[in-house]
Amino acid sequence: MTQAENSFLSIRNLVTAFDTEQGSLRAVEDISFSVERGRTLGIVGESGCGKSVTALSIIRLLPRPAGRIEGGKIWFQGTDILTLPPERLNEIRGNRISMIFQEPLTSLNPVQRIGAQIGEVMGIHFPRMTKEAIGNASLELMEKVGIPDPKRCVAAYPHQISGGMRQRVMIAIALACKPDLLIADEPTTALDVTIQAQILELMKDLQKKTGMAILFITHDLGVIAEVADQVIVMYAGKIVEEASVETLFKNPAHPYTQGLLSSIPRLDSPRKAPLTIIPGMVPSLSDMPAGCRFQNRCPVKIECCKTIPPQMTALSETHSAVCHLLTGRKISP
Amino acid sequence: MKIDPATLKKIKRFQSIKRGYYSLIAISLFIVLSLFAELFINSRALLVRYDGRYYFPTYGEMIPGRVFGFDYDYETNYRELQKRFREAPSDDWALMPLVPYNPYENDLRQDDYPPFPPSFTEKHFLGTDTIGRDILSRLLYGFRTAILFSLALLFATYGVGISLGCLMGYLGGRFDLVFQRVIEIWTNVPVLYVIIIISSILVPNAMILLLIMAFFGWTSITWIMRTATYKEKTREYVLALKALGASDARIIFKHILPNTLSIIVTFAPFALSSGIVALTSLDYLGFGLPAPTPSWGELLQQGWSNMDAWWIASAVISAMILTLLTVTFVGEAVREAFDPKLFTTYE
Repeated sequence: MTQAENSFLSIRNLVTAFDTEQGSLRAVEDISFSVERGRTLGIVGESGCGKSVTALSIIRLLPRPAGRIEGGKIWFQGTDILTLPPERLNEIRGNRISMIFQEPLTSLNPVQRIGAQIGEVMGIHFPRMTKEAIGNASLELMEKVGIPDPKRCVAAYPHQISGGMRQRVMIAIALACKPDLLIADEPTTALDVTIQAQILELMKDLQKKTGMAILFITHDLGVIAEVADQVIVMYAGKIVEEASVETLFKNPAHPYTQGLLSSIPRLDSPRKAPLTIIPGMVPSLSDMPAGCRFQNRCPVKIECCKTIPPQMTALSETHSAVCHLLTGRKISP
Repeated sequence: MKIDPATLKKIKRFQSIKRGYYSLIAISLFIVLSLFAELFINSRALLVRYDGRYYFPTYGEMIPGRVFGFDYDYETNYRELQKRFREAPSDDWALMPLVPYNPYENDLRQDDYPPFPPSFTEKHFLGTDTIGRDILSRLLYGFRTAILFSLALLFATYGVGISLGCLMGYLGGRFDLVFQRVIEIWTNVPVLYVIIIISSILVPNAMILLLIMAFFGWTSITWIMRTATYKEKTREYVLALKALGASDARIIFKHILPNTLSIIVTFAPFALSSGIVALTSLDYLGFGLPAPTPSWGELLQQGWSNMDAWWIASAVISAMILTLLTVTFVGEAVREAFDPKLFTTYE
């Protein structure tokens, strides 16, 4: 067994493409990373950079027939996810790997009671569980995710409870089968800031208790700083930088990461100073330039960026970035 | 059983639409009445006391005339029996239903020919048809036939249409494409002609007629369900369910179907009334249910060819109008009660 096969979750050279009217477009191109047991990996990037597609690829939940995985390998606890037959895949989904989504209201069936929806996932994966056992387990779960008065909430419909409560319900559903990996696709984006903090706290707390790994996808660097151990920055379908969370914020190597961090308003910056922005637009997937994908917005681009795609450069054991300027250079963490 | 607030709201809303609410009460009353039609309109007596014993002839085996002292072995003529008891005073008596005629018997008289006009003394409240059968009796039993037939047709077409439409919408792709074309061709088959051709080859009984009509009637609800499922399928909860490892069957039947229920419920009453109309028109043309079966279409046909016997046509036309109107009113009120837009208003 290779190291990739042996690790907890390992993604090697994943390519996910979508068929569109402009032909086949690669939303995710040649990305590799791994997640370790009990740790949190954050993926950041702006909308459309391929974060969610990466997450959905891990459980092969791409919209068919437009979306498909064109290449690469996904190893999860020694199983090759990409070659699994559908029945085996369904055994893993919701059971070993769970997922929570951005908008908790639309992710819940509007005409089913909360209790039934939490119980359902246990019914799917443990068909021998009795109704009573499922009911008790649901109540216990709801208590665990901090839903006050679970007995009342069991009989409620999704539209009758608040956004924060709904996301707690989603988390309860995701945790029902004690998964080894939780994929959270922007779980706090639709919530207001106070609720967001509660949910993040809850997720960290539950991770400590259950020892599951979390793949946390967000566009919010503040959230990443709060939850992640290791961070991947994505831009236009590619990974541009990978670093531990401290290194990323202290010592960003890629011009895009640097730009992102400097666009965050700081407490110590002078009042009324204009915010820094990254000028320009992400190039369209159908019109990707040769060479570096960030070249049209990069403040430090050099001649070779136009033609030669930069390679991943390791800067330290946990820090690597994709930029011509870094080639052959090691910066201390 | 606990009714949740959303359903309660729909029920309240339905009740507040008076026309639909009273129509529902009326049509349910008609249906219940027609299901127990034997108790109101029947040639058998409800209760007979004879020689100190009680008989309930309405349901069960027929009682031969000899039991009550007649000299024949076929079924007792209870009207005669009642007359005999009245003429010769004794402890015996017979209680007849409101209308003492069943829909099949010909009430013939000497020196007169049917149709007989409405008469209270003869207890033909709506008169008789051209061969002396009581019209009220035929109307009620015909209503039972029509409504049961229509309900069976509804279940058959909706069963096929809902499952196929759901599959088309959910699976999409080639399956959807093939059945779309099939439906397009199917809907262009002139159903009435096909039924007429088939009925001229074999005499259709209710079952065969039902099968033929269901065979051609499933397409409209299939279209509707296909669209509804398509819409429902793209919603995020389906993705979330997939992520939980739910199978396609579970997603369709436990999640998508309940979400499309309001559409099904809204269309059902209209399908019911169109079923009644279809059966009546077939009977009118003589290609429907076989001859002695009480049916509105056949009555309508008689009324049309005997316009001077005005009571035939007027009775069946009023009954048709009343039934179709009430069913349509119910459908209209259900549609309105399930319309989510009405729950919120802006000032």
